Amino acid sequence: MRILLDKFSKSFGSTNIIEDMNLEVGSGEMLALLGPSGCGKSTTLFAVCGIHRPTSGRILFGTRDVTDLPSQERNVGVVFQSYALYPHMTVEENIGFPLMVRRIASADIKKQVADIADLVHIGDLLGRRPAQLSGGQQQRVALARALIRRPDVLLLDEPLANLDAKLRLEMRSEIRRLQKETGITAILVTHDQVEAMSMCDRIAIMKSGEIVQIATPSEMYKDPRTSFVASFLGNPPISFLKGKAQQGAFVLGENGLCLPIAALSGIPDGTTLSLGVRPEHFGTAGGIPVEGKVVFAETQGRENLYDVVLPDGSVLRSIQPVRDDVKPGDSVRWNLDSASTFVFAEDGRRL
Amino acid sequence: MIAPAAVMISLFFLMPVILTAIFAMTNMSTATGISGGAWQVTQGAVNRLKTAMPELANGIAEPRFVVDEEGLAALEALKLKAGFTTELRTSHMGEVFPSRREAERVIKALKDRPSTREVKQISDLFNRSVLNTRFETRDELMASLKKLGFTLTPAEQDTVAKATYTGWVWTTENFRIIGNSPDMAQIFLNTAFYVSVTLLLFNVSYALFLAITTHYMPASTASIFRAIWLLPRITPVVIYVLLWKWLTWDSGFISMFVGQFGYPPKNYLLDSAYNAWFFVILINGFIGASMGMLVFSSAIKAIPQTQFHASEVDGASRWQQVRHVILPQLRWPILFVTCYQTLSLLASFNEILLSTRGGPGKATEVWSLAAFHTALNNYTGNLEYGLGAAMALVLVVVGIVLSLIYLRIFRYDTLISKPLIED
Repeated sequence: MRILLDKFSKSFGSTNIIEDMNLEVGSGEMLALLGPSGCGKSTTLFAVCGIHRPTSGRILFGTRDVTDLPSQERNVGVVFQSYALYPHMTVEENIGFPLMVRRIASADIKKQVADIADLVHIGDLLGRRPAQLSGGQQQRVALARALIRRPDVLLLDEPLANLDAKLRLEMRSEIRRLQKETGITAILVTHDQVEAMSMCDRIAIMKSGEIVQIATPSEMYKDPRTSFVASFLGNPPISFLKGKAQQGAFVLGENGLCLPIAALSGIPDGTTLSLGVRPEHFGTAGGIPVEGKVVFAETQGRENLYDVVLPDGSVLRSIQPVRDDVKPGDSVRWNLDSASTFVFAEDGRRL
Repeated sequence: MIAPAAVMISLFFLMPVILTAIFAMTNMSTATGISGGAWQVTQGAVNRLKTAMPELANGIAEPRFVVDEEGLAALEALKLKAGFTTELRTSHMGEVFPSRREAERVIKALKDRPSTREVKQISDLFNRSVLNTRFETRDELMASLKKLGFTLTPAEQDTVAKATYTGWVWTTENFRIIGNSPDMAQIFLNTAFYVSVTLLLFNVSYALFLAITTHYMPASTASIFRAIWLLPRITPVVIYVLLWKWLTWDSGFISMFVGQFGYPPKNYLLDSAYNAWFFVILINGFIGASMGMLVFSSAIKAIPQTQFHASEVDGASRWQQVRHVILPQLRWPILFVTCYQTLSLLASFNEILLSTRGGPGKATEVWSLAAFHTALNNYTGNLEYGLGAAMALVLVVVGIVLSLIYLRIFRYDTLISKPLIED
């Protein structure tokens, strides 16, 4: 079911969190609301599920206006960051709770709980209480509880934040699998770009209550609209060089590095710019040699990560296949792929 | 660091209980005093002896007259005719007369013919009655009795000593009185009624109601409500009860108000047992509710907010939220409040003492108040410390038994075996 936020605003007291936000999530789509903490992504999610009422604007599920409906009548499933399982109930009672409050016959509840528990692979834990479960198991219980009454919309509020790294990987694909199997429209709130990119069809990246860009993960990675988007996506993150435009080229510092960049034609000379260079575009490949000194090296097993300080003091990050010949302190001359860099204006706009 | 705690516990908690238990096993009262006593043949002692030794009882109650050296010496000192002394010594020495009449007949028959006035004077000197005489030791009493011609077997001596002893003795009589007296049974029923109704209606139910309703209010409104409900608790009890008296007196608010509709003024607090109970329960309930409200409110606050959000999106109505999310997680505070308030209601009587004094009649007399009245404050003036202590001891036992029952009902073992609120 499609979700539409139409000029949605939310303020708490005199603090405006979100103003005039428009967002459409297509039916069966999984959308990530990505942003740093305090950007209003959870507020948006809570407005969609009805815990917060919008200050103004409309929220539509399909064609149904749910703006003024209490959460009880919205038919949404929510997985909270802390899972919010009821500690005094067994797993079975937790999952069956949404059905129980609808006074569905207990035999039916039992059957449906068993079905959904199998779907999330916790069929053998039904008799336990939340305190007797691991984080991942609690997560699955929370998912099952959110899914059991076949909600129109599934909302996930930082669902993986409390899990350890390995479990996070596992649950990532697990949630995506469930979402695809059930064909449910889902919104994932996260501050983790890897989660957003790996799980979702589209990402809406938010900053101070506004959606900066909505796109598919690969589009957004390749074509960030602002420096904020560019800096938020990618791990290890992009590095920025401060410089000026000069005759269609990007010049770093006083008579420093000079990079000819196609996007810069027509930009007046002397405009302050910043150049975004992703770590994979600085290394062995690429056309323009850059000299610098390695100050930091880290091996990640398959790849090595280097921080290189340029003569003017700015830092470029490089990721390369594992090599043993470079150590911190070494001077290097590596190549920069200027065609793959992004140029941003002073206000962060992509040029 | 156990020692200081152990000292404090034994000094301030165990000692009072132990002392109460010790006092409960005595018949101490104003009459016996709390130090040792003496032996005295009071009318009461005579009455007590009447069933076991009727002959002795009757004899002991009458004056007895004995011609002995002591009396003769006193006679000589009176400087009457010397013949009286001589004749009494020679012909009547050691004779015992069971009544004044018989003694005076012998005196009158003396050769020197004493006048009627002298007869009276002389007979008084030989009056050896033990009635109302105080003997510091048991042996003195026995010697006197022997002198008076009562020969007693050791068993009889024991009976007499017991009946005449004025000090306190060890006894289990108090518990027999508590167990058999219909008055005590009535007080017990009063207490059960008072504790259970106040506890159920106010200290738990009403407190829960307040905690839950204030939970759903905006925070500022909620704190105003809580503050109002705390007023009875923080007002000095004397003033608080005085306010209730102003409300209920025959010149008080209620009387004035219904007077507008033509009802005659009356004391609503004390005019009938029903009204007295009504107000006693309100007075205590309003105080008691505030504590439960605070405990329950903070327990509800301790439930993570997301559980309320989750239950809302799961489709639970307010009532279902209360029933399935809040109440199950309040099991522990409810146990605590029930337990604590039961003991507190059982033991405290100050509000009742200040408002109805147990009246009208003894309609609102509860166990602790009765113990206070018995042991420390009553109209007859005979304060029965022993009986009062026994009543207090019963209260201690009842409290312990009730606590154990509560722990069982609320399945205390499961409460402590697992984390209460998981997070």
